[in-house]
This record gives sequence, C-alpha cells and structure tokens, in this order.
Amino acid sequence: MNTAELPMVLFTVIAQMCVGMFWVLGVVDLVLSRTRARAEVDRLTEPVVYAIGPVLVVGLVISTFHMNDVTHAVNVLRHIGSSWLSREIWSGLGFAALGLVWAVLAWWRLGSYLLRRVVAALAALVGLCLVWSMSMIYYSLVAVPAWHTAIVPVHFLSTTVLLGSLAVAACLMVTALVRRRARETMGSAAADDAPQRTSFMDRVRAKAMAVNAPASDEEWTATTAVVRRVMVAALCAGVLVLVSYPVHIANLATGNATAVRSAEAFTGAFFVVRLVVLAVAAVLITVVSYQVAGSARRERPQLLAIWVSAAFVLAVVGELMGRALHYESMFRVGI
Amino acid sequence: MSESLTEPGAGYGFFFDQSLCTGCKACQVACKDKHDLPVGVTWRRVVEYTGGSWQVDGATATPNVFTYYTSVACNHCDNPLCVQVCPTTAMTRREDGTVYVDTSKCVGCRYCEWACPYSAPQFNSTTGHMSKCDLCYDERAQGHTPACVAACPSRALHWGPIDQLHADHGDTVGIAPLPDPSLTRPHLVITPHRDAQRWDAGTGQIANPEEI
Repeated sequence: MNTAELPMVLFTVIAQMCVGMFWVLGVVDLVLSRTRARAEVDRLTEPVVYAIGPVLVVGLVISTFHMNDVTHAVNVLRHIGSSWLSREIWSGLGFAALGLVWAVLAWWRLGSYLLRRVVAALAALVGLCLVWSMSMIYYSLVAVPAWHTAIVPVHFLSTTVLLGSLAVAACLMVTALVRRRARETMGSAAADDAPQRTSFMDRVRAKAMAVNAPASDEEWTATTAVVRRVMVAALCAGVLVLVSYPVHIANLATGNATAVRSAEAFTGAFFVVRLVVLAVAAVLITVVSYQVAGSARRERPQLLAIWVSAAFVLAVVGELMGRALHYESMFRVGI
Repeated sequence: MSESLTEPGAGYGFFFDQSLCTGCKACQVACKDKHDLPVGVTWRRVVEYTGGSWQVDGATATPNVFTYYTSVACNHCDNPLCVQVCPTTAMTRREDGTVYVDTSKCVGCRYCEWACPYSAPQFNSTTGHMSKCDLCYDERAQGHTPACVAACPSRALHWGPIDQLHADHGDTVGIAPLPDPSLTRPHLVITPHRDAQRWDAGTGQIANPEEI
C-alpha cells in the first residue's frame, strides 16, 4: 500500500464511523424515547456520544497529514462552490462544531430539550453532508473508472452504518462494564445522593459519577435490546458490501483497459483477507452477538462484551483494508 | 513581436503535428531546462504509443505494426477539471485562458493530480506544492514563444488562440493514448500520424510509461 494514502484511509474511515455513531444514537434516542423516561434514555446514549468527539478530532488531525504544506491549510475552505474537497472540510468542521455544541448543552442540561434535539438533528444532517461529500470527491473524478461509480457512495455509507453500529454497541458494553465496576465499588449509591457541589471541577466529577452510576435491570434490558438491533443494522451493511464487490468487479472487468487494470486491485490475498474479515465481523459475530445479547445478564456482561468488541475491532480492520483497496484501484484514463 | 501574447479571452492552446514528430524529446528537455524542473517533474512529455499484429495470407504472415509519438503538456482545457476540484482555488485560470498554480495558496493535497487525464498538474516534492505548464507565461509576457514550441526541430509544435488553431488545423484531438476529449475539452489540435488510433480504439499501448 502507498503510505501517502494512509492519512486518507484513516480519516475517511474514522469520520464515517463517527457520523454513523451519531446517526445510530439518534435513532436509538428517537425509538427509546417513545416508551422510556427521558433520563433513562439519556443515561444510555450520552456516554457513547461523548466518545465520538475525541475520535473525530483525532481523525481531523490525521487528515492534515495528507497536505504537503499545512501552512496554507486554511485555503482548503475557499472553493466550496466547486470543489467537493472543500465541501468535505466544511461539513467535517460543521459536524464537529455542532457535535460540540450539542455535547456542551447536553452535559450541562442547557437550553430546552427541543433545542438540544434540533442541534442533534442538524449535526446528523451535516454528518450526512460529510459522508456524501467524501463520496463525491471520488465519484466526481470522471477520468477514474473505479471511482466514477455509484459503488463509492454505497461503500462509504455502508462503512458509516457498519462501524457506527458496532462502535455504539462496543461503547455500550464499555459503559456496562464501567457501571458494573461502579456497582462493586460504590454499592448501589446513586450519584443523585451525592452532596451538592459548587466548583466547576466538582460539578464535572458529580456529572461523571452520575454517568457511571450502576445500571438498573431496566437499563440493562434496554442496552441488550439496542445491541441486538444495531447488530442487525451492521449485518445488513456488511452483506451489502459483500454483495457489491462482485458487481463492482464485473463492471470494471468489462470496461475499458484502465477499468480492467483497476479490477486487478480486487484480486489476491489482501482482498481475500479483507472479505473474510468483513464476513466474520459483520455476519458471523453479529449473529453470535445477537444471540448472546438475548440471554446476557447484567451481572455477567463480559461474554457479550467480548463478542461485541471482537466484531467492532475486526470490522475496523476490514474497513481499513477495504479503504486501502479503494485507493489501490485508482487508475486514470489518458496518460 | 508587437502583438500581445497574453491577450485576455484568447484561450490559448497548442497545435501538434503528429505526422512530423520524430520523438526526439527536444520539447520535453527545453521545458525542463527553461523551468528548472526537478527529477520526477516533467510538464511536457513525449508519449510513444505502439501496437499492431500480423496479417496472415496463406503461409505468409506480414507484420502490421505502428508506433507514433504524442507530445503533451497542459492543454489549458475549456473544462479544466484541475481548477474545478482544487479546494484552495490555487489552480487558477488566467484571463488569457491559460491555467497556472498559485503556489501561495496550494496545500499540495494532489487532488488535481488525480483529476487530470493528461497528468498536467505534477507534485514538486521540493516545494510541497503542485506545479504545471503555464504556457511559459513569463516568456509570452515578453513577446517570446513558449520554450517547447521554440525548441522543436521538426516544427511539429505550435501554439495560439484556440479559435485560430481550429481555423488553421481542424479540430482533431481524440487520438490514443489521449483520453476522450469530451472529458475536459482540451485546447489542443492534432494533425494525426498516418497510423493514429482513435482514443477509444484500445489497439495499442504506451511503450514508455516510465518516461511520462
């Protein structure tokens, strides 16, 4: 693999995962809010949302390594009227900024519930713009047969849903493990019983204690229900990618000489390993996790946590390999 | 010369007489020398395209092969993909229609390099910026001919306003290994070699890929 493409491989996969997490949490919030108390839903989704920010920032920092003169970096915002790359940066920064606004509002319970939801909806929409811009960066290159195809947005959106779902599931399991440990160390003392704090750091600590307070049976039931559903979403996205490859390869192999050359990227051991990793993560382990989540008990979340984490880690590896192949298939017509 | 060679609206481009080109690469070397380009950056390149097979008549197999050269730099296209995709607006079209890199804006992301089917924008690893043919703007501003055109011993290269080139030489440009001209509408006119293949014929291959 060409190491010059590594920043783009990492940034696109990380950013798509972050957008996917935000979407999945939005759907979870909308669905659970219909039947459960707002506080209970917030306690489920909030810790996971806070995981997105640092990961997205890391992704954005990595993306700057793709530029050879970072001192001119601010110029990439100039051509929003024509360049999908400019649009990508704008929407990436917009998604990060709206996410930050939402996080601040949610953490301190500022503004009305409706306002927070509007900000979240805007962030989700700008996230869609980000994934779409990323796809169009490649799709709009008419001289590159492997990229000027609908497969690019299909793959990018699939990565978004696949990694978004599995990352949320993994974060929920981490939350469950933390809260289980909190139960062991704190007993069942809820953070609400903590004395009133006044200084800023005390308030942050009190909030963190509330977030990490032991989970109730009800909350554990909700967690496993969410894990089961996101496994179904991940399975669908994974199957879509697996099915799309033969179509993509067939289209390239029957095209012009440049397209045929591009198709050769999707041969060999690396591609086979990519397919196997994706199939194991998105099909095999998601089904196992679905089953395990159906019977997992709050006191013993470890087994489910291991399966879910394995699915997530393998899926990340698989998507990074898939994205590397996306760049490997870049051959341009002409000279 | 008394007339301006940087006339606004002129839409300058190149004319290349393929039937005269011997593949000597004097244009390529003149360009490299004039702009002091480092190793790996070659704004004007001479592509050798070759192909063919045998015609079998009874017991006799007669070779039917071809090779011809195409000298290519930036075509200062009507529809310059490099300008469209550049996120920084560093890739700029001058009033006279020629395209150049404003290195004070370029971040060296190399997106234009992916977009152009003529490999006109090239990355200069010394500066960290993109670079490309600007049809020797500095020479033209002083009334001189671009270096590549001046250097051609066969008089196979010319340049001028694209409308004038079309009027004088026709509008053929879809010659292999150049891409489908409808992608970028290049300001280029070619008088084809007698064996020239259509851009989509797929009958030959580039014989010197490491040189271009």
